[in-house]
Amino acid sequence: MTALALRLSYRGALVVAVAAGGMSALVAATYRTTIGALDGSSLRALAENPAIRVLFGPPLALDDPGGFTVWRTGTAVAVLVSAWAMLTATRLTRGEEDAGRAEQLLAGRLTPTGLAVRALAAVSAGVVVAGVAVSAGLVAGGAGAAGAVVHGAGVAGTGLVFAGVGVLAGQVMPSRGGASGFAAAVLGVALLARMLGERTEPLGWVTPFGLAGRSVPFAGNRMGPLLVLAALAVGFACVALLAARGRDLGQGRVRHRVRRRPRFALLGSVGGFAVRRAIGPTLGWTVGVAGFLLFVGSLVGEIVRFLDENRRLADLAAGAGFTALGTPEGFAAAMFGVVSIPAGVFAASRIAALTADEAARRTTPLLALPVSRARHLGTEVAVTAAALLVLLAVAGVAYAAGSGLRLGAALAGTLTTAPVALLSLGAAALAHGWLPRAVLAVGALPAAGGFLLHAAVPPLAPLTPYAHLAPVPAAPPNWPAALTMVAIAAALTHLGIQAYRRRDLRTR
Amino acid sequence: MSTPAIRADGLGKRFGRVLAVDGLSLTVEPGEVFGFLGPNGAGKSTTIRMLLGLVRPSAGAALIFGDPAGDVRRAHRHLAYVPADVALWPTLTGAEVLELLAEVGPGTDRGYRNELVRRFELDVNRPARTYSTGNRQKVSLVAAFATRAPLLVLDEPTSGLDPLMEREFRACVTEARDRGQAVFLSSHQLAEVEAVCDRVGILRAGRLVEIAGVAELRRLRQTVVEASFRDDVPSLVDVPGVLAVESLDRNRVRFTLSGPPGPALNALSTADPTAVVMREPSLAEIFLSYYGSGR
Repeated sequence: MTALALRLSYRGALVVAVAAGGMSALVAATYRTTIGALDGSSLRALAENPAIRVLFGPPLALDDPGGFTVWRTGTAVAVLVSAWAMLTATRLTRGEEDAGRAEQLLAGRLTPTGLAVRALAAVSAGVVVAGVAVSAGLVAGGAGAAGAVVHGAGVAGTGLVFAGVGVLAGQVMPSRGGASGFAAAVLGVALLARMLGERTEPLGWVTPFGLAGRSVPFAGNRMGPLLVLAALAVGFACVALLAARGRDLGQGRVRHRVRRRPRFALLGSVGGFAVRRAIGPTLGWTVGVAGFLLFVGSLVGEIVRFLDENRRLADLAAGAGFTALGTPEGFAAAMFGVVSIPAGVFAASRIAALTADEAARRTTPLLALPVSRARHLGTEVAVTAAALLVLLAVAGVAYAAGSGLRLGAALAGTLTTAPVALLSLGAAALAHGWLPRAVLAVGALPAAGGFLLHAAVPPLAPLTPYAHLAPVPAAPPNWPAALTMVAIAAALTHLGIQAYRRRDLRTR
Repeated sequence: MSTPAIRADGLGKRFGRVLAVDGLSLTVEPGEVFGFLGPNGAGKSTTIRMLLGLVRPSAGAALIFGDPAGDVRRAHRHLAYVPADVALWPTLTGAEVLELLAEVGPGTDRGYRNELVRRFELDVNRPARTYSTGNRQKVSLVAAFATRAPLLVLDEPTSGLDPLMEREFRACVTEARDRGQAVFLSSHQLAEVEAVCDRVGILRAGRLVEIAGVAELRRLRQTVVEASFRDDVPSLVDVPGVLAVESLDRNRVRFTLSGPPGPALNALSTADPTAVVMREPSLAEIFLSYYGSGR
């Protein structure tokens, strides 16, 4: 059974390990060229910017390729590994149970706790491989071995915590969507706590991201925080396994109602039904993204004050190519760019849910009605695009509320990133037609993959959408680029629909 | 002549190197109940999924009331479908699923639907995640039978139903035929097909091996007889209707019986039988005896 869990997860684990290790290696290896473009003082000025500190963590040991890599990619890599760990853990526990496959295994000698243990073991193995890959990547990129090991351990430890969170969520919540949402919320809160921890020291000690940061790889290599991190991981694992005991199969600790009155709203058409299915996830993602922007918006005053006192730093940052990063508008634009990642992943996840419905045969009754495939996928894409605009608009309002930025400017800023998220939506629609096994991965590519590539590999940056995203409200929108991206998204969607029309329905 | 409800011409489907359905041609007339028989894996579901445009044929074509099966916006206005393995959105209640299918579907008789919910004893206020296989099947059956679509395509619709509900199902098929709806019923139960169908097609290893009226099908009906005797087994040579005599041991015998049982029973009673067991052969046994086991 551990072998089965490994088999169900090893592909994703390999992709994550290669991505995490590769990114670390690339940034470390290109350290000289990247750093060569900046002189020491402007780099330090940039690094001392509170916005940058909150986003990427405190810059330490920037004079070392390893330290620079940890600062530049550490949080992103830890989030990548953690997100994979938590999603895979919920898939192997609650997902297998939802699909009715767990019953077969539990009819044998296996207990529910045993099942949870094995899922945890498989995900943990993947996380450890990713951690080793990060260490190996750093060493291969020319960083010192000790720091590389500490950073790899921090990444793996963070991933282990979220493997436990994912298994726990699988025991607590009664559906896979609910479990993934629960785990994602924990991840979001942990990230937020890390950011707050930059200002309120104790908070940094309760979040895995903060603990990994406090192990200061390449700048002291402290073991204490790593031990606390390990204890946190063991703690979550124990709670998860305790929750698995004495629970009915198919039920979570949170229970569904067995009977309820019908709610017929939005069941009158394919479009209405798509809206009905989209409301819950849209609400969840919007709360997460808007909450993040509300928080970072509240930091703006502090940054402006900081830059007023350090005029020279602002000039230096601008001179280094980071135009207006230190102004309220520049900071806002940078935040909005970050927000396009969850927005794009949200869009891709909606199409991935449609693909999952098809594989689970839920789509079949609908497609046996006079509903064409083009309308089926096209409606989902249209509803998701609308949900995306709602998400970005609410996010803009939240940022304006938190920062005091003009509402119009904030809305223009968040909505400017819509084309990037739409590219993710288009890529997901294309994958739904051409590569239905990998809709979420392909869909996340333009937003999440593009952002990482843009940040980590300067020579390839022009290929990513972020190179063509104007920093609104710090600069006027780049209409030709935005329209081009929307046109590409539409073309991808069209190709996806054509392929979906021609292919067989996939069911398992 | 009216347009056939289903017309398939040389329908074929290849999955990689496996030929799932090969050169299938058949016609189902409006108002006809057509049984589609075959063992598991014969290609029944693949054929139905091609008729519904869910799977694209590698060869041939199918028309639903004259509309190409692939043009689902037209073709699906003529039909309602019950899949072999019904999956529903887990958070929707039965009532909500029925509402969605009625609103988007080709037209539903809501009065009749409420009657069907009663007859199938379906609790529609439960979320689909709490439904058993049989209950999910009932939701799909109620939705299909309640439509006014002139063709019902039912893929092994009774596999999860208990005998009482199976009886209700047969009554519904009869009512559908009385309303003039054609029914395409896939099954591996000979008795079910015999009870409700006008004509039967038999599929084996992806090929249609026989299309016959139910009366003709009865010649496929045989009884397997096993008899035990206190002493030796009597001679069954040249007894009318007795086939494939198999001696199990000195005082036990097995044979198949077709036609009236009188002569065979007379022959058995010439000795001193201690037990006689008669049972219907499984479809697989019929296939084996009629068509051999090979491909």
